[in-house]
Amino acid sequence: MTLIKVPKPPQSAIDPSRPINALLRNQILHLQEAEFRLPVRMQTNIYINAIKTEGEAADYIRRVTAALHHAHGKGPSGVAAAEVPVVTPRRLARGRDIAASVEEPSKRAKPAGKRKKKGRPKK
Amino acid sequence: MATGLDNLKHIVVLMMENRSFDHMLGDLASDPSSKIDGITPGLSNPDTTPAHNPVAVQPLAEFQGQLDPDPDHHFPAVDLQIFGGDTSPGRAANMQGFVKSYFNQQRDVKHSQKIMYYFPQKKLPVLTTLAKEFAVFNRWFSSIPGPTICNRAFAHYGTSFGKVGMDLFYINEPFKSIYNRLIDANPKHTAKLYYYDQASSTMEIVNLLQHQPELFGTYDQFLQDCKKGQLPDYSFVEPNYSDHDGDEGAIIASDQHPDHHVQAGELFIASVYNAIKQNPDLWKSTALLVVYDEHGGIYDHVPPPACIPDGFVASANDTGTGQEFRFDRLGVRVPAILISPWIPKVVDGRVFEHASIPATVTEHFLGSYDQRSPREKAAETFLDLITLDTMRTDCPDFGV
Repeated sequence: MTLIKVPKPPQSAIDPSRPINALLRNQILHLQEAEFRLPVRMQTNIYINAIKTEGEAADYIRRVTAALHHAHGKGPSGVAAAEVPVVTPRRLARGRDIAASVEEPSKRAKPAGKRKKKGRPKK
Repeated sequence: MATGLDNLKHIVVLMMENRSFDHMLGDLASDPSSKIDGITPGLSNPDTTPAHNPVAVQPLAEFQGQLDPDPDHHFPAVDLQIFGGDTSPGRAANMQGFVKSYFNQQRDVKHSQKIMYYFPQKKLPVLTTLAKEFAVFNRWFSSIPGPTICNRAFAHYGTSFGKVGMDLFYINEPFKSIYNRLIDANPKHTAKLYYYDQASSTMEIVNLLQHQPELFGTYDQFLQDCKKGQLPDYSFVEPNYSDHDGDEGAIIASDQHPDHHVQAGELFIASVYNAIKQNPDLWKSTALLVVYDEHGGIYDHVPPPACIPDGFVASANDTGTGQEFRFDRLGVRVPAILISPWIPKVVDGRVFEHASIPATVTEHFLGSYDQRSPREKAAETFLDLITLDTMRTDCPDFGV
């Protein structure tokens, strides 16, 4: 049988700033429902009503999906567990990226022995 | 049993988004010898002018930029599309409300006509080639005259648990997902859902991703599993639902949901097909079903038939039509193609719906299984299309 050539779409077809459709809107709502059941430290604290574009939606979806996998102790097949980020809470700041910052678990918690004591600095 | 069915170890389902049968495959009927129930002269819908001028189907569908805004495909809109606005008792489906429905979104008579456009087959070389070379279903309907989530639920559970929209739903025992049926079986089977990547993720969140993330893999993993011959017994593949940034630049949505580029979906379908075909052992032991979840508000001419009630009832409030729904009729027809080197070129005329997916997978891997929805129990299964005793060597190859 002859090889059938499959045309590629033009580069201009890609538009992460395209407004999200109803399907993505609902996917976000469902993910938020699941996110709210995670431990607070793993929640994104992202204000989902501010998500307007596909690129922004994908960023939220990626973070919550990763967190759901992480909460169960491992990444999905095809993603090494070490790559799975934990999302940390951050308030949405007007004019800033809506996504929460990402840290590796090891960077979040310092060993107890090295933790600085609170108090006034010595003069 | 046919040799091909004896050899069948893997079933793969690729579910695309929101395109009707006539829109994607209807042009195949232009071949006089074709048994495809597609586009024929005279098919039309009335427009919304006082004269109700007929709007004919036309081969003018474009890959992108035409169905914007996204055609309404929630329950009330689909009701209008199927019944043409008739709400009387005893009404009959006439498929005369598609233009009216699309007009409602922009109040633009000219723009509303685009809902009748279909693709000439040369514009969709992957889907139309697969349809001509393998088994294409003339009567595969979405399970519900409504949107994505409830329709996809039928593919995973054989029911939507009474939902007709995009709402959250929770599994009602005793109906398990097809994945749980397989992995809980004795002997144990394997099953996996492959989403494209974490930024696209899955539409099956609240019941499966949240509680059983180990069921999921990425599309890269699917490609690796095909290459290594490690594909599970049952695989469900989801396309990429959004344009977004990846590690190596922007990634294009491949789901074909309006207004995503249709050619990206063609490439994705070819990629799934190639991944299976390029491993000879996998190719001879796998059946691939390519199917769309629902019609996305786009015109199709075949009235959806009645079906066995599901045992659930959606309230008049939930349907948004003022009438309750007993899950006793199907949604609009969608493209569906079954692919295997053990399948002859055939057009199947039986009625299928998405509950046919868990019904078929269950029947093949588990045999008798009672704890299923009435709709799934009544659903037609499709592996009897694998009838050849000699493997075909003339199957197409796609250059991606």
